[in-house]
Amino acid sequence: MLATLATLTALALGAPQQTDTTLPVRSGARLEVENFGGEIAVKTWSRSAVRVTASHSSRDRIEIGASDAGLHVKAEGHRGPPHVVDYEITAPAWMALNLSGVYTDITVEGAQGEITAETVHGEVKVSGGSGNVSLKSVQGAVTLEKARGRIDLYSVNEEIKASDVSGDLTAETVNGDITLRQIESSNTEANTVNGDITYDGTIKDGGRYRFATHGGSLRVSVPEKANVAVSVSTFNGEFNSCFPVQLTGKAKHRFNFTIGSGSARLELESFDGDIKICRPGAVSKEE
Amino acid sequence: MELTTSGVATLRRDPDQAAGDAEGADAALAASGDGRAFERLYRVHLARIHSLARRMIGSDAADDVTQDVFIRAWTKLATFRGEAAFGTWLFRLAVNVILARRTTLGSERGRYDDSEGALETAARPAAAPELSLDLEEAMSRLPDGARQVFVLHDLEGYRHEEIAKLLGIVPGTSKSQLHHARMALRKHLDR
Amino acid sequence: MNDQWTDRLSEYLDDDLSSAEVTALEAHLAACASCRATLDELRRVVARARALDDRPPATDLWPGIATGIGLAPGAHPVVSLGQRRARRRLSFTVPELAAAAIALAMLSGGAARLLLRGSKAGPMATTATPAPMPMLVNAGAPGTNARYAAAVADLERALEQGRGRLDTATVRVIEKNLSIIDRAIREAQSALAADPGNAYLNLHLAEQMRRKLELLRRANALAGARS
Repeated sequence: MLATLATLTALALGAPQQTDTTLPVRSGARLEVENFGGEIAVKTWSRSAVRVTASHSSRDRIEIGASDAGLHVKAEGHRGPPHVVDYEITAPAWMALNLSGVYTDITVEGAQGEITAETVHGEVKVSGGSGNVSLKSVQGAVTLEKARGRIDLYSVNEEIKASDVSGDLTAETVNGDITLRQIESSNTEANTVNGDITYDGTIKDGGRYRFATHGGSLRVSVPEKANVAVSVSTFNGEFNSCFPVQLTGKAKHRFNFTIGSGSARLELESFDGDIKICRPGAVSKEE
Repeated sequence: MELTTSGVATLRRDPDQAAGDAEGADAALAASGDGRAFERLYRVHLARIHSLARRMIGSDAADDVTQDVFIRAWTKLATFRGEAAFGTWLFRLAVNVILARRTTLGSERGRYDDSEGALETAARPAAAPELSLDLEEAMSRLPDGARQVFVLHDLEGYRHEEIAKLLGIVPGTSKSQLHHARMALRKHLDR
Repeated sequence: MNDQWTDRLSEYLDDDLSSAEVTALEAHLAACASCRATLDELRRVVARARALDDRPPATDLWPGIATGIGLAPGAHPVVSLGQRRARRRLSFTVPELAAAAIALAMLSGGAARLLLRGSKAGPMATTATPAPMPMLVNAGAPGTNARYAAAVADLERALEQGRGRLDTATVRVIEKNLSIIDRAIREAQSALAADPGNAYLNLHLAEQMRRKLELLRRANALAGARS
């Protein structure tokens, strides 16, 4: 329910417009931005206020709905060609973000709260985030760094990159590589159909890790002191290890080996590509 | 935003003043939704954008990427403020779209036959001088990095600092890649 | 020594050397005929590059762009999904109970996700030894197989109806990726045909099928959201 509605109307006709307004927000408020085309760029500051700057056609006006729950930003106005707005928003670092668009690039810098960002044609690039972080695109790369919590990264036609991330991590795409570096996790799943997967991160006791691709290769790090039961499955690919391993089980297209106490579980699956394990820091995509 | 106009030296002649004014008008019309105006802009700039796409990432994906560039340009037009020539703005946008596309193409398995990309480009226009065909053909045989630096520097007039930022390399690498490209091309052309 | 000078020729051409370096290089050039020849060749390459003409593509790209930005009359993509669907729909033969059981679980709402990924508490299904999975049920294979195909068909039909609400570029991306998954499915199936008992191949096929369902669901959600 909206307690107050702040509506900002653009002025002249014909030329592109700028909207610039700052609204105070209460602790715990969420920010929601809906766009169609253009950009959503969010930065943070220490003020308890949100500044919305938008460049858009004069036929659109930016509406910011303010309620106890937070702010809701979208463009209203003419019918016909869809709204194309470039938003530059500065919000408190603690603010939870819900950003969506279609032909929209989304970038976030310095956020410390929850983040949900979804677009169809556009990149999602986030630095920061904690709690639930969910980033989705269809035709666009998804990039995340410096986040902690429950992380879900989805693309369809492009790559996913995560670095300096800790927590439970899921990364899924169809036609793209997945590159995960400096990951601290007990629970990671990366899945692609037509792409390579690189994982350079922890293998913690009791953890679960699964890396699966159909046509691409896997490069996964296993630290020296790790305790992990590893299962390698492939139809047509080769397996290589940077250090000696001793097989404990072998069947057609799958074999297993154990390192240390075998406490963690690591699944490596590539139907058609090569699988390689190395020490952290030595894992890289190129041969 | 990623669009800047400083530091881009173009080797091409600037459009004459009258054409520039007409284009500015079309850009303003297109920005407010006029499809015909946008089509006019498309026709004027198509050859340049498509040539850039072809030279940077190859013929297979060039049609597709060129369409993406213009679709993206349409959605971003509302933010084109006319402080630079429309062509410069469009070209800059094209470079960004093409470079972003590189990573996608890099991950596509060679075996996968994209039915759109598998369409052979039809025979080249008869008017193209043989000299140009030789150079483009030779360029297509260069390794990706060297070719892209060569296109951006020698064809499009970017400086090494700018190329380095675009491609995510250091200026020193840009210089050596350029030299490598020129040395390789010189051998091809001598045949 | 020759290599050292040759490597700097491009920078020399581009006025990128200090005046001291220029002096030294020019002194060397005066004495080195092959360096002069190389420099000349480099100059010609650069000159040719600058003279390169722009060429448009052979096909007119405007129709694709126009539909992509919603300018075509009616603003709906014209291409019919029906023609391509006939080519793309596969009659899945999933001879193995493993995949069939998982497919059945999928249709009932995603429980199979847990089977494939494991829960935090229990062991992951895929870490089992090569022996058949204990959680498998004889699901009466023919019926199950048909149900997966029916779910796919339902989603494809819904997508065709909702397709008008999706722009061409999105449709293209979705269809392209459906092809990628279909190809993976075909490859998994033919591997499985030679080796029907293999646990990995069965689960891999089931996973690709799940991904196809998910992509179709996501596409439908996109079409629904844009009404």
